[in-house]
Amino acid sequence: MKLRHLMVPLVALALAAPSGAPVLALQRIAYEQYTLPNGLRVILAEDHSTPIVTVNVWYNVGSRNERPGRSGFAHLFEHMMFQGSAHVKKGEHFQLIERAGGTMNGTTDEDRTAYFETLPANRLNLGLWLEADRMRSLAITAENFENQRQAVKEERRLRVDNQPYAPALVEGMAMLYDSTDCFAYAHSVIGSMADLDAARVEDVQAFFDLYYAPNNATLTIVGDFDPAEAKRLIQQYFGDIPRGRDPPPVECRYRFDAGPMRKTWEDQHANLPAVIIAYRAPPHDHGDTPALQHLSTILGGGESSRLHRSLVRESKVAFGAGSQFQSRRGPGVILVFAIANQGVSAEALEHQLLAEVARVRDQGVSEEEVTKARNDHRAATIFGMQTTMSVSQQLQHYAHYHSSLDEIHTELDKYLSVTGSDIQRVARTYLVPENSLTITVVPKAGANQ
Amino acid sequence: MIRRARLSVTAACALLPALGWWIPRTAGAQFPPSPPPAAPLRPMQFPPFQEVRLSNGVQVILVENHELPIVSLSLAFPAGSRYDPAGKEGLAELTAALLTKGTPSRTADQIAAAIEGVGGSLSATAGADWFTVSSTVLTDHVELALELLADVLLNASFPQSEFDLAVRRFQSQLQLEKSDPGTLARRFFARELYGDHPYGRSMTESSLAALSRDDVVQFARSRLKPGGAYLIVAGDMTLAGARELLERYLRGWSGSAPTAASDPEPPAPRPTQILLVHRPGSAQSNILVGNLAMGPRDPVYYAITVGNRILGGGTDARLFKILREQKGWTYGAYSSVTRRSGPGFFAANTEVRTPVTDSALVELLAQLRRFRTEIVPDSELAAAKGYLIGSFPRSIETPQQIASQVTTVKLLGLGDDYLRSYRERLAAVTAADIRNAARRVIRPDSAVIVVVGDGEAIYDKLVKIAPVRIVDPEGKPLTVEDLKPKAEAVTFDPAQLVAGRDSFQVLVQGNPFGYMTAEWARFPDSLVYTEETVIAAVGLRQKTVVRLDPNTLAVRSVERTGQAAGQNLETAVSYQGGRVRGRAQTPDPRAGTPRVVEVDTTVAEGTLDASAFQPLVAALPLAEGSTFSLPVFEPAEERTRILTVKVAGVSDLTVPAGDFPVYRVEVSGTPQPFVFYVTREAPRRLVKIEIVGQPLTFELTASRRE
Repeated sequence: MKLRHLMVPLVALALAAPSGAPVLALQRIAYEQYTLPNGLRVILAEDHSTPIVTVNVWYNVGSRNERPGRSGFAHLFEHMMFQGSAHVKKGEHFQLIERAGGTMNGTTDEDRTAYFETLPANRLNLGLWLEADRMRSLAITAENFENQRQAVKEERRLRVDNQPYAPALVEGMAMLYDSTDCFAYAHSVIGSMADLDAARVEDVQAFFDLYYAPNNATLTIVGDFDPAEAKRLIQQYFGDIPRGRDPPPVECRYRFDAGPMRKTWEDQHANLPAVIIAYRAPPHDHGDTPALQHLSTILGGGESSRLHRSLVRESKVAFGAGSQFQSRRGPGVILVFAIANQGVSAEALEHQLLAEVARVRDQGVSEEEVTKARNDHRAATIFGMQTTMSVSQQLQHYAHYHSSLDEIHTELDKYLSVTGSDIQRVARTYLVPENSLTITVVPKAGANQ
Repeated sequence: MIRRARLSVTAACALLPALGWWIPRTAGAQFPPSPPPAAPLRPMQFPPFQEVRLSNGVQVILVENHELPIVSLSLAFPAGSRYDPAGKEGLAELTAALLTKGTPSRTADQIAAAIEGVGGSLSATAGADWFTVSSTVLTDHVELALELLADVLLNASFPQSEFDLAVRRFQSQLQLEKSDPGTLARRFFARELYGDHPYGRSMTESSLAALSRDDVVQFARSRLKPGGAYLIVAGDMTLAGARELLERYLRGWSGSAPTAASDPEPPAPRPTQILLVHRPGSAQSNILVGNLAMGPRDPVYYAITVGNRILGGGTDARLFKILREQKGWTYGAYSSVTRRSGPGFFAANTEVRTPVTDSALVELLAQLRRFRTEIVPDSELAAAKGYLIGSFPRSIETPQQIASQVTTVKLLGLGDDYLRSYRERLAAVTAADIRNAARRVIRPDSAVIVVVGDGEAIYDKLVKIAPVRIVDPEGKPLTVEDLKPKAEAVTFDPAQLVAGRDSFQVLVQGNPFGYMTAEWARFPDSLVYTEETVIAAVGLRQKTVVRLDPNTLAVRSVERTGQAAGQNLETAVSYQGGRVRGRAQTPDPRAGTPRVVEVDTTVAEGTLDASAFQPLVAALPLAEGSTFSLPVFEPAEERTRILTVKVAGVSDLTVPAGDFPVYRVEVSGTPQPFVFYVTREAPRRLVKIEIVGQPLTFELTASRRE
């Protein structure tokens, strides 16, 4: 029950590992897919090596589907999905899974909402039953809604408003896009307090009817199951849920030469200045995505990255520095950031960050760096295929972010064939002043005196 | 089959109208209104493993799995901390910390860079019985992993600089552990259970001080030998391939570890006793109750594992529900069963507020006794089995997880069938089995009980439960008389405090992160100390003003303002006529709003305010070997602690302000122990502060005297 991406405090990013790319497959994952008459898309991938099974349902709805004045709905909805349904009492979902020896969770981002549970193989029926019950009969009551609205507001306070740098990161990223041309990505996943307050229980029902219908969902099962039995259960549990209306398409217009933007953010929890330079990036299915991923790894992935070496270890202007590439179904964000060391001004920090960006644009990257980025991506990809849970997430990723699920077989090759000149080219294309938003975070005057 | 299906459909059709389920949104007649029952459990298909012995004696176990190009290597030696020579406890752990920190051909950084460069991992750890070196890599880097593994095993050079670094880290860790009641309780519990058996011993400051680099070299050379070692290979590897690679990379490595001398017997069971570890002023008591139990291969394990899940194995279990949810005495209460190569043990633990220590212990013992007499109800049995049987497969999903399970089987000698039949054995456990197992394994009448807490507050109540012995956190025996807090009169020397201003830099892991200034001003009728500290990265800014009597150095008032953790702190208290009054507002990151305490209480003569302690350290009659006990009042907690101040040694110290002959002054009795370095020459000055177990130090950068 959490927000993906942006909610990570910047400090943690600065001190931790490379940015998380969607994980792609190396070898063939055998799967079959079909669609029920009511529109529910089903992907089945058998893996009998361990007697466990993951049930993973993605609803094709994220914050990008929200309307002005109703931001934060997709995530609020994810909370509602754990509040009970016709045959599952509040709190029972977790208890049923626990007593079966399983685990579960849900996550929301701009592009989709995910629900999953990993269970012993003989409890596949429980996972499917729980998912079906809430798809067919979520308990949308005024009481549950109010309850979860408060929980989400609390989550916003805890994870965004009270975290240093988080408001700048969360709200700042949305500023890259214009709220008239592309509201989809011009607001944050967590939404505004005002919108959450304005939401009525009828809005929630309408949102459920439109987006939580079988024709807007993809059910993936990965692990040790009998496909015939799984299909029978899916038919029995999901088959008679009526199809909903087709949700309206997401519209977004954007450009990479809108001119440089600047924003200064006063942060009452930050004690050191920070600088974030964010650039618009193309949608995930664009051919430049692999090179941008490697660019992000080379600039800011780990202790051997350029930003860490140059800003943290050598010049010591930064307490932490890194990069992040957020690739989305719509236009994304690639950013570099640094948190100043004691006594270093935001201007000096920005100057050094820009110098590193310019160095990639002007001089490119070394062969060693390219090899490291490729190795890193390959290892992460393969280590990420070890569990039924991570494989189910990948299948869902390809089902939603790619034109064909079969790209799961070929995607890693694209990343392994990226060259140094590709990386320099994407740096020259996207990491340019006219495509940038520079956010300076300054400690709020007086807050700490 | 078909007949049955028809029958059930017919039955359902007949019943439906009568049942009248509210079926929402759709008339889904087929959708079951309650959770479907579990399908039958298929036999566990635990990956079979193959074994081969290399020419040098290493027993190789291969869990072959080619689904992914990942190989996981785990080399286990009978070289855990039970092989530490008496008096040199900590040797195995230190060796593990140093094994990957350099060879003649690679520095520690190069080893780390090489393995991380291919997205892999390499590490060594020492447990009670076994010493393990592990690596996980993609298949095409397996030769690099083996090369590094072989290099560290055969050639580890244990550089003196890395040794010194590791010892310092361990020292800090030990200091920190002394202030952690949970760790204290576990250490004393092990000692009580096992006596002089190696499982009862653990690293201490003196055992660490007795260790040299030569000991580490010798330990590695003699104990990390192929004979008697297991190498578990899991993942994308064939037996022939593994054998060929291992013979090649481990060539020239031979021999066996010497047989260890036989271990002293653990103490025989005796009537239940309580060991009270006295921590003056402790707000909570840590309780551990348990007894030696079974050997590693005792089949009672299955029944006691299910039983333990019911008794105290999670938040769904009795101890948690009763002690936390019903009584509200604690955040948690659990029990566990531990298997070792040698004798294992049963333990139950909880930490409770001081005033309910005896009630909690009585209830805990009552639950253990009840478990030995009553039969558990079916509902609890089903929930416990559901969890244990259901979650087991998730623990063998990846090659590393499989390797870890197989390692346990091998090291404990559980037999090849163990993992395959594990779930069935758990499923077969009956309520009667659990009671029989409990009677053997859980013995509240011949148990070891360790309570770490404030002896003065809890001793009288504990003696009503069982006989009590008392020790201090160092293990020194105490008498009941010793529990009364007593602080000796200390005469401060005002002449050591000279007007002027000292500046300090605040270092985090050696990097400057802030500053502190300390200023003394002398007025005809008072002495005023002003201290300002800024550590911006952690959001700390504070200013403290302490006013003292210029002759006796008695504290008159303390004011503190500033901000920490995003919250304002504001304290103002005054001392007069044996009473302290005022208000203390301190940050409470958990609550999100500051905590406010209205202070109005009596304090004994000679009590220092917590903020006055640091400025007055220099005025103590410091001398080599001297020790003082000082009552220190903490307004935020409205409570007095007795701090122990010990001059632990003298040395020459270099800080940015210069070189100084100093006293090393160790302060304990605070939640976080401190070390102060004070110049030996008068007028004395504080030149450095270390906070034990934290990467935080303060160093004098400049000093101005008027």
